[in-house]
Amino acid sequence: MTIAFYTLAAFILALGVLVVSTKNTVHAVLFLVANFLCVAMLYVLLQAEFLAVIQVLVYAGGIVVLYLFVVMLVNLKRGPETHVDPRRRDRMGLLIGGAVLAEFVAILLYGFAPRATGAAPAAAAPGVGNVEQVGWSLYVDYLVPFEVASILLLVAMIGAIVLAKKEP
Amino acid sequence: MPTGYSANDLVLLLPEIVLTTGLLVVLVADLFTGRSRQHWLGWLTIGVLVATAVPIVALSGHATTAARGLLAVDGFGAFFKLLFVLAAAITVLISRQYLEVEQARPGEYYFLVLCATLGMMVMAAGIDLITLFIGLETMAVSFYVLTGFLRPNRRSNEAAIKYFVLGAFSLGILLYGMSLVYGLSGTTRLREVAVALATQSDSLALKLAVVLVAAGMAFKIAAVPFHMWAPDVYEGAPTPITAFLSVGSKAASFAMLLRLLLEGLPAMAPEWRGLFYVLAVLSMTVGNIAAITQGNVKRMLAYSSIAHAGYILIGIVTATPRGVTAMLVYLMIYAFMQMGAFGVLALLRRRDVVGDELKDLSGLFFRRPLAAFAMLVFMLSLGGIPPTAGFMGKFWLFSAAIEAGYVWLAVIGVLNSAISLYYYVRVVVFMWMREELESASVHPSPGVAVALTVAVAATIIIGVYPAPLFELAEASAKTLGMAPRVLSLR
Amino acid sequence: MTTVLRLIPLFPFVGFLVNVFLGRRLSKRVSGGIACLAMLASFLVGAISTWTLVQRPSDARVVDDTVFLWIASGDFQIPLTFRLDPLAALMVLVVTGVGFLIHLYSVSYMHEETDGEYARYFSYLNLFASFMLVLVLGANFLVMFVGWEGVGLCSYLLIGFWFKKRSAADAGKKAFVVNRIGDFAFIVGMLLAFREFGTLDFREIAFEAARLSPEVTFGLISLMTLLFFIGATGKSAQIPLYVWLPDAMEGPTPVSALIHAATMVTAGVYMIGRNAALFSLAPITMDVVAVIGTATALMAGTIGLVQNDIKRVLAYSTVSQLGYMFLAMGVGAFAGGIFHLYTHAFFKALLFLGSGAVIHALHGEQDIRNMGGLRRDLPITYWTFVIGALAIAGVPGLSGFFSKDEILYRTFAGGHTLLWTVGAITSLLTATYMFRLVFLTFHGERPESAGSTAHHGGSDHGHGGGHGPAHLHDAPPTMAVPLVLLAIGSVVAGYVGVPHALGGANRIEGFLEPSFHPVAVHAPAEAGVGGGHGETAAHGEESPDADAHGGASVELTLMGVSSLIALTGIGLASVFFLRRRELAQATAARLPAVYRTLLNKYYVDEVYDATVVHPIQRTSERVLWKTVDAGMIDGIVNGAGAFVRGSAALLRLSQTGSVRVYAASIFIGVLLVVGYYLVR
Repeated sequence: MTIAFYTLAAFILALGVLVVSTKNTVHAVLFLVANFLCVAMLYVLLQAEFLAVIQVLVYAGGIVVLYLFVVMLVNLKRGPETHVDPRRRDRMGLLIGGAVLAEFVAILLYGFAPRATGAAPAAAAPGVGNVEQVGWSLYVDYLVPFEVASILLLVAMIGAIVLAKKEP
Repeated sequence: MPTGYSANDLVLLLPEIVLTTGLLVVLVADLFTGRSRQHWLGWLTIGVLVATAVPIVALSGHATTAARGLLAVDGFGAFFKLLFVLAAAITVLISRQYLEVEQARPGEYYFLVLCATLGMMVMAAGIDLITLFIGLETMAVSFYVLTGFLRPNRRSNEAAIKYFVLGAFSLGILLYGMSLVYGLSGTTRLREVAVALATQSDSLALKLAVVLVAAGMAFKIAAVPFHMWAPDVYEGAPTPITAFLSVGSKAASFAMLLRLLLEGLPAMAPEWRGLFYVLAVLSMTVGNIAAITQGNVKRMLAYSSIAHAGYILIGIVTATPRGVTAMLVYLMIYAFMQMGAFGVLALLRRRDVVGDELKDLSGLFFRRPLAAFAMLVFMLSLGGIPPTAGFMGKFWLFSAAIEAGYVWLAVIGVLNSAISLYYYVRVVVFMWMREELESASVHPSPGVAVALTVAVAATIIIGVYPAPLFELAEASAKTLGMAPRVLSLR
Repeated sequence: MTTVLRLIPLFPFVGFLVNVFLGRRLSKRVSGGIACLAMLASFLVGAISTWTLVQRPSDARVVDDTVFLWIASGDFQIPLTFRLDPLAALMVLVVTGVGFLIHLYSVSYMHEETDGEYARYFSYLNLFASFMLVLVLGANFLVMFVGWEGVGLCSYLLIGFWFKKRSAADAGKKAFVVNRIGDFAFIVGMLLAFREFGTLDFREIAFEAARLSPEVTFGLISLMTLLFFIGATGKSAQIPLYVWLPDAMEGPTPVSALIHAATMVTAGVYMIGRNAALFSLAPITMDVVAVIGTATALMAGTIGLVQNDIKRVLAYSTVSQLGYMFLAMGVGAFAGGIFHLYTHAFFKALLFLGSGAVIHALHGEQDIRNMGGLRRDLPITYWTFVIGALAIAGVPGLSGFFSKDEILYRTFAGGHTLLWTVGAITSLLTATYMFRLVFLTFHGERPESAGSTAHHGGSDHGHGGGHGPAHLHDAPPTMAVPLVLLAIGSVVAGYVGVPHALGGANRIEGFLEPSFHPVAVHAPAEAGVGGGHGETAAHGEESPDADAHGGASVELTLMGVSSLIALTGIGLASVFFLRRRELAQATAARLPAVYRTLLNKYYVDEVYDATVVHPIQRTSERVLWKTVDAGMIDGIVNGAGAFVRGSAALLRLSQTGSVRVYAASIFIGVLLVVGYYLVR
């Protein structure tokens, strides 16, 4: 169990690094798909089968396909480098990122207090199905945020139209 | 009616329901309004906002929760909701003329303004991590689009993209912090979080969570060093949206921050107090000094709004009822004076003149004495000169700091407000003491006139007779769940 | 009676409103008339209120007018209250009385402005007076601060009134910035007082203070009062914040008169007088006040000796006289300081208005080297000016004599011999430079070249029209009447404070004393021997009681000395600047370094520029603007050369340096804070 988790985590991290570091956009999207699939496996490991399915359907299936469409339609080429020394920036970024990582690791190693109360809430109660639990959570407990989220999606949709449509 | 909900919930959620219905109506009405009659959309939007204000006022006396404990219905929330509605109304009023000049379609614009308002209301009322986050996101996405609303304008586009990328980045940080809070407490409901965390305040991971949450929110309120987006975005966005962004978004983020810290993380008060102490000092100082050299008024106001975030953070550092009261008072005052200042700038926008450079204000007094007078009042108020409202707000913030023992913080604040006058008064100098520009006179539409009149009147009346606002803010601050407890922790 | 007080500042405020909103449609006659009427009405109300106040027994001379509760929060309540007590009454009469005369004078002095400008001028003037009255009548620090800031703002507007003149705009800015430094200290002091006493009301603070014993070492009260004093140095132009006042004469001359004489600069002195009970508790602060006051008096006096601009000489003399007032405050002679403030208002307003009449007649000439012999052409101006100069020099019988003598005597009696000596030297300087001014301006002959320079020198009064230098017009009636009235005031104003040593009753001191020690009012003073003013034990220092018989002879001696000094000063001036002018030049030539240092005002402006102004500007420009801001803008502009709509643009923009830097700044912020917790 633990071994499986860390293996998956390592994969996810490595794929994430590949996504941002590869020069080829199509490759980057494909790494992203692999990344999403690994996350889905993580969900399975945590007994959240429904979420895993959704992850595959929505992210690996829907969103990434959209990405691929956009990438291929727009046919991105690298723009001219506008900055003096991109490598220096990269090194800066690496430095900052490394430092943050080091801090977080330090916190994990020294600082993580044992979990006090509240058992892992994701653990499925016996007798209640996974899907049903998500449903209860989404449509009963969090009904109002769910409704607000629908407005959020509407905003995103209208916003996309506003920004993309041609001038009349 | 699902389990756990009752008809009472519908009543308690009435402001949100009215607003949601209204924004949909505006969206649909846009389809059926011809080009020539589009100014009616503005008045329709005002109508929606007024209709929203009614249940807010009616419910302001409650102190309860709704929607299974996700939203608080209390005076604190009502105070902020009113502020948002007010800011949105002023935004709409000063937008019409501006949109006409920019030749932008108002339908979606008003819709998005209302959506942002809805997001803010959820942020002020939410007492649950997910709810707060959804509210924040709704507001943020609306603003991303509104910032880039002037599509032919390159600056506007740039601003939108920058705001979007950095906003997403900071939301990531915030979300990570929230997930740590959830992981450590096992619940998303702030009041349960507070109980769960009361026993484990020395955990390093919890400190990390506090830092991340604080950083994410500091981005939204544009506190140094999370402020760098603000000048670019403020400058590029349409002026009325800049006004709404700098007032509404900031106030909503402060409301959410107060909910998070005082309702959810009071046990961590020593940590976040120190953290925000530093942020407050940095924001005041950097914001004011950077503002001195700006030649663009919108940019200058952006830096000044960074500085104002610093002043307001003083209230969080104190975390006393008086400090929170002072924050509420100041945010309300800030809403009037900041929106007013941007309103005057929006008025200066003409077909061929952008109107946001300092020199565009030259001799405004001789062209439009009333607009210049309004700007004078706003500048003096922003600078904290009595007898304007800004002075009262600052006085109360600083005296709250002194009372809570933060003498140096108050001293730094006073020093900064002394520095700030330099650039506010420069605006006045340009309006009064420079040769007037050879340009056509600007005629304010009735909407702008109403908005500016209200803002000027409020700035002066609150400055001369602030007692009612203080009482209202004090009563509202009292209803914030944990405020008394924090005081006892001191 | 109780609701009348609010009318005093309200009248000028209404005048301001009328002139600012309707001014451009009103004729000059109407807008000037409204402004003057507003001041007159305010003066009358003030006079009536004072009269009723005086009718009361001396321990009940306090009238409050609470307009409404300003801030109410639990146990903290700050009402908007105006309060008339003897101190405030005196100030109100000075501000409205002298202010009215200055308004009247302005009516013809400013007649060359356009209608709109004219109304703008009077609206500022009225607003200025209104804020000053709020300052004076305020019953707590917050109300006072409203006026305090207000006069600062108005002075900025008035000094920069001729904003097209660059020096005027700069002078306005300087006044504003320097005042902000003082205000900063004032607010911090106010917040500390709020924390310490839980109230901002002057009387309540005085009651609280009465229960405390004086601080021997530097404590909270010392800090608080020191902060207040820094605030006062900003408003009242003392070292190190005096630099704005001499530049303030860039404004129209009546404005200089208003700022220098009746309002603004007296605010600092008044504020210390208002908080006398508090200051008495802090001997350290008191010493600082006295020393700074004396040093300022001396320094400004020496500078005034060599300046060539008629208004600049007067400006430095104001700084010097204010130094006297602070000296008085610092040695505990609060009544003496306020007394000098009151007499000074008359003769300084007179001198400024007189210089205005000269400048008016010479079409803008301000350099005294280009004047001379004006005695014949401007008799009214000449005689009134001489009276003012005699008064400020401290010649016996005129008002300045009584007040200055009171200060010097109290200084001496308090054991501050060194301060007294410096004060006496300054007194000599005062007499000398004032009569240098009189002799150079009104006596002798006018240089031939002067006529031609006058026209384009027209900084103050730039109408070049057909007046030749031969036909000089004396002040027209609306200017002459204020001059004469002020001259009369300069002579007689001192007689309310004739000292006991000269057989007077020093009524003004007895009148003012309850304001300084309001506690003594309620605890009846038992010390009946002297029968004099209520010196409370809390006062600390050895009681410098003027009534003791031994004191009287000392006082008489000192009086003789200072009269002698005044006459010597006048004599010196007459030798150097009337009979043997070459002697003055020879002296200047023999001491070039001293002369140049004085002429350049000890280079203080330059030092401030180099040490304060430039570093701040550079920090703001280079560090924050150039590197952080401008660099990024350039990056955007360069990077966005070929801007295409759509997602391509989105991707490219997200890669421009700026966004990365912004994100990095967010990240670094998090990094630092987390790092802090880790290390800790």
